Amino acid sequence: MSFEGLDFAILGPAFFVGLLILSTHVPLGQEVLKRGIIFIDLAIAQIAGLGVIAAYRFGWDIHGWEVQLVALNTALIAAVALNTLEKHYQEFQEALIGAIFVLAATASILILSGNPHGGESLKDLLVGQILWITWEQLLPTALVTGFIFLILFSFRQRLNHLGFYLVFALAITNSVQLIGVYLVFASLIIPALGSIGSKNTLLSAYLIGAAGYGLGLILSSLLDLPSGAVIVWCIAIMALLSTLVRGISDKSHDSSPMS
Amino acid sequence: MFQQWKKKYWLAVLLLTLCSSSSTAYAQLNIFACEPEWAALARTLTGDAARVYSATTAQQDPHHIQARPSLIAKVRRADMLVCTGAELEVGWLPLLLRKSGNAKIQPGQVAYFIATDHVSLLEKPTVLDRSLGDIHAAGNPHIHLDPYRVQQVAVALVSSLVIIDPSNKNNYLENLRIFTLEWREAISQWEKQTERLRGKRIVVSHNSWIYLERWLGLERLAVLEPRPGIAPSSSHLGKLLTQLKLRPADMILHASYQNDKSALWLSKKTGLPVVGLAFSPADKENLIQWFDRLLQQLLSAES
Repeated sequence: MSFEGLDFAILGPAFFVGLLILSTHVPLGQEVLKRGIIFIDLAIAQIAGLGVIAAYRFGWDIHGWEVQLVALNTALIAAVALNTLEKHYQEFQEALIGAIFVLAATASILILSGNPHGGESLKDLLVGQILWITWEQLLPTALVTGFIFLILFSFRQRLNHLGFYLVFALAITNSVQLIGVYLVFASLIIPALGSIGSKNTLLSAYLIGAAGYGLGLILSSLLDLPSGAVIVWCIAIMALLSTLVRGISDKSHDSSPMS
Repeated sequence: MFQQWKKKYWLAVLLLTLCSSSSTAYAQLNIFACEPEWAALARTLTGDAARVYSATTAQQDPHHIQARPSLIAKVRRADMLVCTGAELEVGWLPLLLRKSGNAKIQPGQVAYFIATDHVSLLEKPTVLDRSLGDIHAAGNPHIHLDPYRVQQVAVALVSSLVIIDPSNKNNYLENLRIFTLEWREAISQWEKQTERLRGKRIVVSHNSWIYLERWLGLERLAVLEPRPGIAPSSSHLGKLLTQLKLRPADMILHASYQNDKSALWLSKKTGLPVVGLAFSPADKENLIQWFDRLLQQLLSAES
């Protein structure tokens, strides 16, 4: 046990960024789950990374916001492509997403064999670490989150397939760089999964996610373990607990009229 | 929404109460070292005057590091930072420093001590070309494998320590004097022991041994993975095998923290012995004990 990491200045920004990301990823994750395309985030993140290293390969010397622009544009192109695929080959959608992920990942390896410097950028894009986040970095994330939130909740009914893919690409490109692929995947899928069958699925998914981030950050301090990985496990435990509790209360509900 | 806010609020309260109880005040200097070799050196040179923490262990690759809350807490409280530099920690140290908000140890301060600033570096590329791979623009950073450069770093480290903590000046100077004596003694012993290694031809799995090679007079014939982190192409391996057939090497070296797959593959093809070397001192090991162990590993493979 070590208590020195339990410092609000250390864990605070990480917790708030977690809440910001959850606010958009939980509804997106429910949509992803409904459509049965759960690996789409891995595919889009990998393609965004591929775009950046391809830019290096063609000799562009890009930094900072230019990298973001390239990553976002590639992710949006990927979104359009995935949308087209869904229209024409819906029954193979999940398999196609998997194949695209592998192709994008191996294409990066092939490009990198001639230019390893892009490797650092690819790594930066795919393995963000939640603890390195500072308060100053929260502002752009908050703006992106607000924008996505607005679109999701005001145009949700009118949001067509393409619209969903584009919003999703924007959300993923932003979040993966901050907290890494594993945590993004967990934030999307696990709360959505754990809240299936509850009365207010959105609220319970939010609670599962928030509790998972809070508990995960505290535990990673106490046990001195890498935060991202501990948070993933805590979200999963919270989802499992909520499913169990709901199962028990459902049973007591079912049996009450009999007695 | 209210539920969520309530949860946040309680967490904040919990966090604040827990951290307020853990603050401590010692007269000791807190030193944050990036690698175990600098932690070991700092421990020897400060004695009881400092508490030294190493961000990485000998089993870890210092290029990469996972963010843990305790790591940031240690940097926030550090009075001095001792790291290799030359881009070795470029992937995480700037982030860690920015997150820590500790003004004392930011770049430019005396307490921001970078070992490679105080020695000359080998393999400084004359032309910076991205296509050459992951080459460090400043030169090869793994200077701790050359005892003469370690001595230079020790002298520089003590001059910084004297500025940061003048009350212990005499301690530091005395520790440096003792260290220098023992270190010189050890170097001449090591050089006698390793006399027969001079001129031995080696293959390395990564190009991280240049300082050791120069010091011991080893001749590097080839690098198994020419670009760190990227698997060698089949044509590279083919060339390597023909090259080794024409001019055989004596052994294959790799750092024991690294995967030995590629080294074992080459050993199977060529029959050369594979030597896993301790790239950094273990916990509680001082630099002399570690060099002793490292050189024993090298000698035992050769005999």
